[in-house]
Amino acid sequence: MCSEIVNSFVQAWHDHPARLRRLTAAGRKCIGYFCTYTPVEILYAAGFIPVRITGGRGTVEKAYSLAPDFICPFMKRSLEKALAGEYDYLCGVIQSYTCDAACGMLNIWKENLKGTHYHLLSLPYNDNDGARTYLRLELKALMERLVVDTARISANALGQVVDLYDGIRQRISLLYAGRFKGRLPISAQELAYVVLAGQVLPPQDYHEQLERLIHSIDDKDVEQTGVPVLLSGSLVEEPEILGAVEAAGLRIVADDLCTGLRPYSPAFGRGEDPVDRIVDRLMARSPCPSRSKAIQRAAHLRTLVMKSGAKAVIFLVQKFCTPHLADIPILAEELKKMDIPILVLEMDEHWQSSGQFQGRLQSFLEMIVL
Amino acid sequence: MEKTQKSIKRLKSGKALNQVVAEYYLECMQAPREGRPVVWMPPMNGAIEMCYAMDLQPVFPENWSPVCAAFGLTPRNFEVAEGMGYSRDLCGYLRNIIGYVNGPMQAEAAMPLGRLPEPDILLSPNGGCVPVMKIFHALERRFPSAKVFAGDLPQVAVEEIKQHHMDYAVQEGARLIEFLEHAGKRKLNEERLREVVALSDQACALWDEIMTYRRVIPAPFSAAEIGIMFVMVTRQGTAKAVDFLTLVRDEIQERAHQHQGVIADEKLRLFWDNIPLWYNMGLFNYFEKMGGVVVAETYSAAWSLRLDPSRPFESLALKSLRSYPMVSCVSVERRKQMLLNACREYHIDGVIMHRNKSCLPITLGQMDIKRALETELGIPTVFIDADHMDARNFSVAQFQARADAFMEMLLARKGYAHG
Ligand code: SF4
Ligand code: SF4
Repeated sequence: MCSEIVNSFVQAWHDHPARLRRLTAAGRKCIGYFCTYTPVEILYAAGFIPVRITGGRGTVEKAYSLAPDFICPFMKRSLEKALAGEYDYLCGVIQSYTCDAACGMLNIWKENLKGTHYHLLSLPYNDNDGARTYLRLELKALMERLVVDTARISANALGQVVDLYDGIRQRISLLYAGRFKGRLPISAQELAYVVLAGQVLPPQDYHEQLERLIHSIDDKDVEQTGVPVLLSGSLVEEPEILGAVEAAGLRIVADDLCTGLRPYSPAFGRGEDPVDRIVDRLMARSPCPSRSKAIQRAAHLRTLVMKSGAKAVIFLVQKFCTPHLADIPILAEELKKMDIPILVLEMDEHWQSSGQFQGRLQSFLEMIVL
Repeated sequence: MEKTQKSIKRLKSGKALNQVVAEYYLECMQAPREGRPVVWMPPMNGAIEMCYAMDLQPVFPENWSPVCAAFGLTPRNFEVAEGMGYSRDLCGYLRNIIGYVNGPMQAEAAMPLGRLPEPDILLSPNGGCVPVMKIFHALERRFPSAKVFAGDLPQVAVEEIKQHHMDYAVQEGARLIEFLEHAGKRKLNEERLREVVALSDQACALWDEIMTYRRVIPAPFSAAEIGIMFVMVTRQGTAKAVDFLTLVRDEIQERAHQHQGVIADEKLRLFWDNIPLWYNMGLFNYFEKMGGVVVAETYSAAWSLRLDPSRPFESLALKSLRSYPMVSCVSVERRKQMLLNACREYHIDGVIMHRNKSCLPITLGQMDIKRALETELGIPTVFIDADHMDARNFSVAQFQARADAFMEMLLARKGYAHG
């Protein structure tokens, strides 16, 4: 159950396929992306509604004709849905080389699904002048791929789009700041809906919805129950999973998820022109396991733990997800130094059917409380 | 059939290969004593030529994994890595090397080839696949006194490489040289680099030439001899690689001219896609009892990147940019073309696709390639579910059932009587 104030987001999330189809029928163009390292500002300025592709819960059958079973549920379910025609309104997929799965999937989509715009970006990992110059050129190549005449994306128009997205990210950050202070009257499950809706709604509409939400929230302390935990992982596409964690007596006070705070920090980048601002933001993003070292993530988690007062960390990872799984031993070692207990939970495409999930949360809680 | 077994080698140069391998690892172990800084790096990029040109000792942790598999050390390494919390779903190279450096490497008893010398320098890649990046992050932690260079390398499909990718790769190459000069306390002599690049190019030319003899029917050598690739991984840019490949070329040329095949009666020519099962190279011989020879594999074409010694920096940048995408899912289109060409050139009757639990980058896209083989060339494919490092993910019974059925079908297609 979600409270009234987030209803519009819950609905937007559930209705998004129908809505995007309607918009497409009315002449708008939608383009997909798997991961938040896609510079959505450029897609929108080029005339596309950026849509984050989701896998969600369910079975996998058709996808196995194109991909092996040892790939993350997010990727197999997304392909399954695409093969069933659920993404037929997309003009293609724009994706950065984040993980091997995402890169390979982009190629598989390109081979097997309709759409004319498939493009892989390669972002630099280092941050220095050379890397930034390279990234500018890589973004320019993307613009050329999306619109033949890049002059059509004027600096002015792109600047306005960057402002719009910065505004969105600042508002999300505000909600998270409220949570850190214990003054956000919505649950983790509800906040997840708010975030997810933003990844499938046209940004203008989303911005307005967020604005309304922020105005409707009273800035006052909220009663807190449950043991505070930090949740770290890649995508949690079903907000009910967070609900299940909280129902087990744990309170999610901070997250390090790409369906959570990670893509929204920092909220904006600085620079002389809009492309520089995008470059700066991408370069400064809080560490994602596909693009950084576990040790950098450990420092980030430590900060989040201190800021939020979390007593434990739950790693909720997609099964077969190399970037996340490979970081866990180092993260576990580092968190142990701080006496922070951890729990690793892997999700398959039917997460809910595993009764184990609830049981493991229960025993974890008991262990922390003891 | 055993779960782990060695292949039958028929080339005389196989003996020379054993020597080349032993000599290389001996050289690695002697490097610290001889004052040559030890550089651990990922394979398939232009840093190897830079190291040889600067008299630094390159060491390839990924290449050590097949060695561990050959000597049966892998299960122990896995035990160590998995005990540290590394998931069984992670690439076997990653689990093997992390287990090795945190376990057996520190033990007294060394393997027949000795052990790896500790790194003075780590070339930590920002590019390639995720496991290879994570391997080096773990190595940085294990060897905290090693100097680390994290070099970016755009991950871009071969057919999409643009000037800015090249410029960035060249720029990162320059940064690497500066780092190596500083960390290795030596200067790069450009003339020497040109010589090394020329040697590297000669090795590629020889590799190409050796591969052309595989077009001959009967095939003069099979994938069971793929160990010759060792010099392409560890010795590119040295005269040793050129000498060894010349030896191999001469032997294979002679075999080809004398129509000396791998087996007496070659009936079927097969292609192997993806990494071999390093703990069971004997699989390549399995098909021989039914007249099948694995005459080509994914790597056949991957080493034929020619280099221009007059433009060493650009050549090495391009080599680095192209190598990984050529064998991974970055360039599914290019890999498809590579396989279609190989099937035409080597007169392939059937393709064995190793669906490799340990390597997603090479496995993704195989289904698309299979479809292209069937529709464009009418060549059938069989999938073998296994793992290049972890024998626990390989079932002999399943392999035999699928391989036998596939061979029977191919034989029937070619008009050979059943049985
Ligand atoms: S990072 Fe993990 S969850 Fe995300 S696409 Fe890659 S493998 Fe899947
Ligand atoms: S390319 Fe494959 S085998 Fe090599 S390190 Fe990457 S995942 Fe492992």
